Amino acid sequence: MRGLQPDTAQRSIALDGVTVLRGGRRVLSEVSVGLDAASIAVIGANGSGKSTFARLLDGLVDPDSGTVSVHGLDVRRNRREIRRRVGFVFTDPQAQILMPTPAEDLAFSLRGRPRDEVALRVAAMLAEHGLTDRADAPASALSGGQKQLLALASVLITGPALIVADEPTTLLDLRNARRIGDLLLSQSAQVVLVTHDLELAARCEAALLFDDGEIAALGEAGDVVAHYRRACE
Amino acid sequence: MIQLYVPGASVVHRLGAGAKLLALAVAALVLSLVSPDAWGIAASLAGVTALYLLARLPLRVLAAEIWRLRWLMVVLGGALLVFVGPLPAWISTGRVVTIVLLASLLTLTTRMGDLIDVLRRLIAPARRFGVDPESVTMTIALTITMIPVVAGFASQVREAQRARGAARSGLHGVVPLMVRTLRHADDVADALAARGAV
Repeated sequence: MRGLQPDTAQRSIALDGVTVLRGGRRVLSEVSVGLDAASIAVIGANGSGKSTFARLLDGLVDPDSGTVSVHGLDVRRNRREIRRRVGFVFTDPQAQILMPTPAEDLAFSLRGRPRDEVALRVAAMLAEHGLTDRADAPASALSGGQKQLLALASVLITGPALIVADEPTTLLDLRNARRIGDLLLSQSAQVVLVTHDLELAARCEAALLFDDGEIAALGEAGDVVAHYRRACE
Repeated sequence: MIQLYVPGASVVHRLGAGAKLLALAVAALVLSLVSPDAWGIAASLAGVTALYLLARLPLRVLAAEIWRLRWLMVVLGGALLVFVGPLPAWISTGRVVTIVLLASLLTLTTRMGDLIDVLRRLIAPARRFGVDPESVTMTIALTITMIPVVAGFASQVREAQRARGAARSGLHGVVPLMVRTLRHADDVADALAARGAV
């Protein structure tokens, strides 16, 4: 699959000649790609550039050269709008949960909106994810699965057009990993999922394989995952 | 004291966060400015107990609060007992314990979000001096959230050191704890950015 010609014109997510340097090392090297699939898995070895790619989409990392555009917006020039449209789910939910309790953390995502609306939407989101009885519990007392569920709910409650999840199932047991994976892949928003879980990756519509800061393969998820499995053998 | 809300529908729970905060401030002022006698302190402690009962909090919650204050009572009460005498020890220690128990009652019966809203309104006039109420209240809430997280890191560092044969971590635990905490702070900064807070 190496040699696939990426098309960066009018796609939902477009990177054009993106290079990212960290401490003199090229973390991403001249990456150009266009992606418009509903769900895109990003796979590859540790340090291959997957997380940097994900962070570019939310403006958490800026490219040293090249441009990143999400849903027609240049990420660097439209940071505030991008943050409104893109929901980012981190590997460690403890970093993402900013308020003392689940109810308050979800309300934080809706700050600035009328109190009644916030209360209704928070209650609905807690109920949808089975967290109602934990609404006022200390967030630190939630289980690992509940914390990641809360972190994801805090993103979903804002109704993002794109959800970027950076290894959201890495710290979870099998049951919770499946639950989070199912939830992510059932969203109507576009999903970019960085993962080492190849079964989950294969369930996406498309996949992107990174190797040493470059795109090694891009295409239908099942094919890219099979290619990666063969490369690892 | 960092306490968290215990849900309930009692009169104390239903009272507005601003009213409870004001009552706490008044009680603290009165107890600090007026010099109560031994019976006055006994009455104030009985009053606090009655408020916990009115809030329909289980007695074990009050017992846990008092247990949390054991070292304060031992150190403060002990020092005053030795150097000043039993009556001043009873009065001063009782006064501090009453105020701390009232503060705990406030946080046990009030959602943090409601307290932060009150705080935001109180700080709002300081905006003209360049203070951003949102930043101040956000910082307070974030601090409350992160205290158990950092405590968890400390426990993990201790366990890791014990697993590698260190009997007591002592000062050796400080550096790895700081490294983990600073790394976590970087992640939190990213999360703040991703959630549009900065």
